[in-house]
Amino acid sequence: MASGVIFDIKEMSVNDGPGIRTTVFFKGCPLRCRWCHNPEGLSFEPEIKESGLPCLGCGLCRQPCGHEDCRPFGRCLHICPQGRLKQVGERVEASALADRIKRQADFLLANGGVTLSGGEPLAQPDFLIELERSLKPLHLALETSGQAPLPVFQAACALADLVMIDIKHMDPGQHKRWTGADNRRILANIAWLKARDIPFIVRVPLIPGVNDSQENLAATAAFLADVPALRHVELLPYNTLAGSKYASVGRTYDPGFDETRPPNIDCTPFAARGICCQVL
Amino acid sequence: MTERISTLRERIVAKRHQQALQTPEKQLAEAYKQLGLTPQERMVRRLEFLMAAEKPAMEADERIVFTRTIRSQPEIFAPDEWAQIRAGHYIHELGFVSNVTPNYYGLIRDGFARRRQDIEAVLQNARPEERPFLDGQLRVMQSVSGLAARYREQARRMGNEVVAAVLEQVPEQGAKTFHEALQFFRILHFTLWLEGEYHNTIGRFDRHMIGYLEQDLASGRLDEDGAFELLEEFFLSFNKDSNLYPGVQQGDNGQSMVLGGRDPQGGTVFNRLTRMCLEASRELKLIDPKINLRVDRETPLETYRLGTELTREGLGFPQYSNDDVVIPGLVALGYDPEDAIDYSVAACWEFIIPGKGMDVANIGAVSFPHIVDEAMREDLPEAVSFDAFLEQVGQRVDEVCRSIVRSCANLWFIPAPFLSLLTDGSLARRQDISLGARYNNWGLHGTGIATAIDSLAAIRQKIYEEGSLTPAELIDAVDQDFAGYEILLHQLRYESPKFGDGNETSETLAVWLLGRFADAVKDLHNERGGRIRAGTGTAMYYLWHVRDLPASPDGRRKGEPLAANYTPSLFARVPGPLSIIQSFTRPDLTRVINGGPLTLEFHDTLFRTQDSRDKVSTLVKWYIDRGGHQLQLNAVNRDVLLDARAHPEQHRQLIVRIWGWSAYFCELDEAYQDHVLRRTAYDCVG
Repeated sequence: MASGVIFDIKEMSVNDGPGIRTTVFFKGCPLRCRWCHNPEGLSFEPEIKESGLPCLGCGLCRQPCGHEDCRPFGRCLHICPQGRLKQVGERVEASALADRIKRQADFLLANGGVTLSGGEPLAQPDFLIELERSLKPLHLALETSGQAPLPVFQAACALADLVMIDIKHMDPGQHKRWTGADNRRILANIAWLKARDIPFIVRVPLIPGVNDSQENLAATAAFLADVPALRHVELLPYNTLAGSKYASVGRTYDPGFDETRPPNIDCTPFAARGICCQVL
Repeated sequence: MTERISTLRERIVAKRHQQALQTPEKQLAEAYKQLGLTPQERMVRRLEFLMAAEKPAMEADERIVFTRTIRSQPEIFAPDEWAQIRAGHYIHELGFVSNVTPNYYGLIRDGFARRRQDIEAVLQNARPEERPFLDGQLRVMQSVSGLAARYREQARRMGNEVVAAVLEQVPEQGAKTFHEALQFFRILHFTLWLEGEYHNTIGRFDRHMIGYLEQDLASGRLDEDGAFELLEEFFLSFNKDSNLYPGVQQGDNGQSMVLGGRDPQGGTVFNRLTRMCLEASRELKLIDPKINLRVDRETPLETYRLGTELTREGLGFPQYSNDDVVIPGLVALGYDPEDAIDYSVAACWEFIIPGKGMDVANIGAVSFPHIVDEAMREDLPEAVSFDAFLEQVGQRVDEVCRSIVRSCANLWFIPAPFLSLLTDGSLARRQDISLGARYNNWGLHGTGIATAIDSLAAIRQKIYEEGSLTPAELIDAVDQDFAGYEILLHQLRYESPKFGDGNETSETLAVWLLGRFADAVKDLHNERGGRIRAGTGTAMYYLWHVRDLPASPDGRRKGEPLAANYTPSLFARVPGPLSIIQSFTRPDLTRVINGGPLTLEFHDTLFRTQDSRDKVSTLVKWYIDRGGHQLQLNAVNRDVLLDARAHPEQHRQLIVRIWGWSAYFCELDEAYQDHVLRRTAYDCVG
């Protein structure tokens, strides 16, 4: 009976794999990409999130409440008259979560499936593997940064019907500069994947001035050439809304690159290698 | 869109076509009173007066004519007479017949001449008391012919030979061409509004008009482009006078068109004209006519795709209705199967029978939150178990339904001579439609269904399962509008089961509540021998019913609106559209077939790519396949709505859906704008 921490379940997700998906967002990520648009997925610990209606300044949440679950935050989660305060991060049993999602199994079987995303799903391996097993026979897509030990990566991918994996930079130093870790593990994991028959999609977030150079895109394309299991490459141009959620979880968005410069959106390096490339 | 249509559209949107508008100075009521005229005679005389007072208003480039020049109609009753009528009767809304689907298409086929012969034949053997009705039928037709003749002369003077030729044929003779049929429809529709009826719905346009279209295409009289241009002009005609129509808000005018569905032979109607209508609506982007699409389990995904293309435009339609649910539901209420299969949609969502109904589908509304509130105060303190409490709620539902029916006793409508011409069997009965037709059922809306279910779930959980709250505490909390009960408020509002979040408890309660509503009206009859129909629509009651409602046990504070129609409560935190559809299709919706759609709001970005629009179509199909009765989708963008509030001048054409109709956002009262902004939109893309 494995449990894990998730921060959201989203139904009718249309851009997380084939068909209509229910996407589960795992909480916690080993990387710290400067452009991350899901700040609530960074920490492995439950956090407090403020959003929605404006704060009335009534101070009710600052009064002692005695709730066990409020203790770590020093604020009461269960009293805001505006419903502003929410705990982000819920510990759930894999089997209970699977049961919840499978209430719509008939629809998901016929029209899509489930996507396991994050945060980084591979960072909670026992929970992830049990969840994957419990969700079968639904179509499963794994959305990962690839930052995980090879055995974990192998076990999780083996149970998935589709893997969606990022390549953020081909240069280890640059990768470390912008994400906090070098890319050795990620590239090794993709190298393993390239030799299997598990369908996979590579996603490249196009961050202006960080990884959108012709040189980096060409290196990415070279690394992915002649791989039968690679369905296509998706380029995701940087969205200036990326920083919009930081304040709600008490974080500051500090991208460190010029957000206003439009990224270089160029499929030609991939096309040159015979790789299908889409811009999302 | 051709340049001519584009120009015409501009002219209508800017209301430049309406410059001749006048209000008649002549008062009629006092003279009618002096003469001691019957209501029926007064309505005939008023229509004769109005038709004579109307002036042909047309442009040389128009192909479909008839535009109102009279702003409002003079009264037919003196104030004391009307007060007396009101004192002795139940008067529904404005007193005019409304919210029915006339049988335009029979008269379009026959023409006035043949109808005149039929009436004259009946007159030969008519009893003296039947004569005024029959004479009136002839006179109103005559008055319409008179105006049509003046339009014809005007067309000729302006050199508009096309219109002149069409008016040579109609309305005197039955239509022979698509163009004639459209012009004939326009004349009938124009006349109904002028007579005083309102929420005049359009019915099954594609089913009845396809024959004229196919014939013209086959004979080469029209090509597809020409037919489409005529159709677009016809669609525009619904927007010509709509600012003169009565309604709760601008846009609430009931010009609903029904497309697709089955025909009485069991085939499917969906045809070339259906596609053209969807396309015309998509291209014109106006709030009228309001498109309803009938679908069923066999409907191909392609049809939903076409519907989604229209939804994408943000018009709030099509509204889908499910033949697999509606038809059996109507049959169970006593409608003949061949009539049930021919159902149309009234002004908003009520299912009615074209040409045969004098159903009053919106006669009243049951406020479920009020019922729960009363039960909480009077029954909860004594109820030994939740089931015992529920039974008390059920008995209150029974009593409220009975009491609404009692309160509508002695129902009386102002006669509708011209509408009677478009009513099957009126001639055979020698009776005005206001006195009844083949079907005389009454419909009850059900307001605050989600709020009531959530309140019941909260009572069950807090009082009977956890025992964490006493009835007295709950009543006090509600009376204090939760002041001093902040933690409880939060728990009820944000941490308790909600209908739509996929939980079993709420679904079971929904099955019970809607079933109980249907049971409550099952054996009730009205004074016209009709049945009572339960429904899931709210109309404007989502605002009206909260005026005298305290806070509710689901954590809704006093004054907060209920959800529109069959939709989760406005502050419910639900995982998304799949859970909602799953929960909302659990009850047996054939039993609440007065209508009222599940409404889902999606962020407009969901409609940007073909791939995601296909996914929306799939979702709609799932709702239908699971036994949903009616569905309405909106593409909204909160930022745009907020900007429209700040800068209305830049968003005059922004359209939103209100309850059973769409409106220009900037023309709405603030309370209705607020409600649109409070609804939860599902963002499925980011």
